[in-house]
Amino acid sequence: MNKIMFFAHLREAVGEESISIDVAGRSVAELKELLANQYQLNQLDTVMTAINEEFATNEEIIQQGDIIAFIPPVSGG
Amino acid sequence: MFERYSRQILFTPIGQTGQEKLSSKHVLIIGAGALGSSNAETMVRSGVGKVTIVDRDYVEFSNLQRQQLYTEDDVREKLPKAVAAEQRLRAINSEVEIRAIVGDATPDMLEDLAKDIDLIMDSTDNFETRMAINDISQKFKIPWVYGACVGSYGMSFTIIPGKTPCLNCLLKRIPIQGMTCDTGGIIAPAVQMAIAHQTVEALKILVEDWDSIRDTFVSFDLWRNQYTSMKMSKAKDEGCLSCGKERTYPYLSKENMTKTTVLCGRDTVQIRPPHKQVIVLNELGNQLMALGYKVKGNPYLLSVETEEHRLVIFQDGRALIHGTKDLTHAKSIYQRLLG
Repeated sequence: MNKIMFFAHLREAVGEESISIDVAGRSVAELKELLANQYQLNQLDTVMTAINEEFATNEEIIQQGDIIAFIPPVSGG
Repeated sequence: MFERYSRQILFTPIGQTGQEKLSSKHVLIIGAGALGSSNAETMVRSGVGKVTIVDRDYVEFSNLQRQQLYTEDDVREKLPKAVAAEQRLRAINSEVEIRAIVGDATPDMLEDLAKDIDLIMDSTDNFETRMAINDISQKFKIPWVYGACVGSYGMSFTIIPGKTPCLNCLLKRIPIQGMTCDTGGIIAPAVQMAIAHQTVEALKILVEDWDSIRDTFVSFDLWRNQYTSMKMSKAKDEGCLSCGKERTYPYLSKENMTKTTVLCGRDTVQIRPPHKQVIVLNELGNQLMALGYKVKGNPYLLSVETEEHRLVIFQDGRALIHGTKDLTHAKSIYQRLLG
């Protein structure tokens, strides 16, 4: 299983702080696509991804037990 | 001479040597809104040698809840933020040389300013300017500290040319429809948390304590009690056009800038984003309506009324700002709503 965590407006869009799904073997890009379809999220391509608190590219493959966090960059100031 | 800094000098990592270094440094602050106010005040109080602050807006009532340099008088006089900030900063510490610039921080302006700068502190409200700061930072080898906040959420990352990844490595391109303070709201503690992360990094850089620089990307949500620290060593992209081997500094070139034009014979400015975008109009419309703006729309455009202006936003990101001929002001309104 993998824990997927959402921050800022993504948390509101998904309606939960985190979800648990099994996405081991998939890439970050594939997970983004899956979530985009499931929750009608449309801004995931510029959202940063952390796997186990380390920056991950879209190509990185998710392993069993990995914790994934989606961190949307914001522009306010 | 350093009496006023005695408590800061007692802090061992700064000390007398650090204070002397601080007093010889020049900090460039881009933006004088919430982040800019607090960043500037902390830098000026801590006794840096010179602060240059750039802003294109004037003070409004909706700023006073969090933009700590401004007063009701500044609003009544419609003072440009840079001017009001300069007055207040001078009153706080007359030893610091302060230069205020009223204007849009375009790549051209940033290149002119970059010559004798030791650090750039990001206090802008949009990614276009941040990407330009990022390219200037790489081109002139000046460290900069990214900071941003919206709602109760915020983030910061320190970029040291030649050492850390840069903002373009992380984002690859400018995020569209980013949350802004004008769409997602903002509470003052989120500003202060972002500022605490930015200013502490600024002090480390200015006293040249390079080993203490935070190398993680921090993000937090103060209301939801979340705090994350992301390691960034894997983020550096050798092919990055801003900091890689074959760099072109793309965000300093004209084609990557928002275009503004006054429409002939009309009190209207047209804004065109540098790249075609797909704005989810009904989502943006709902956000703005929730904030009390008068919004009307159809599948092709959104008409939004603010107190002074009417905006028409098209799906491809193009917009008409009615009720002004001022290009900088129009761009400011646009970027406040669309990020």
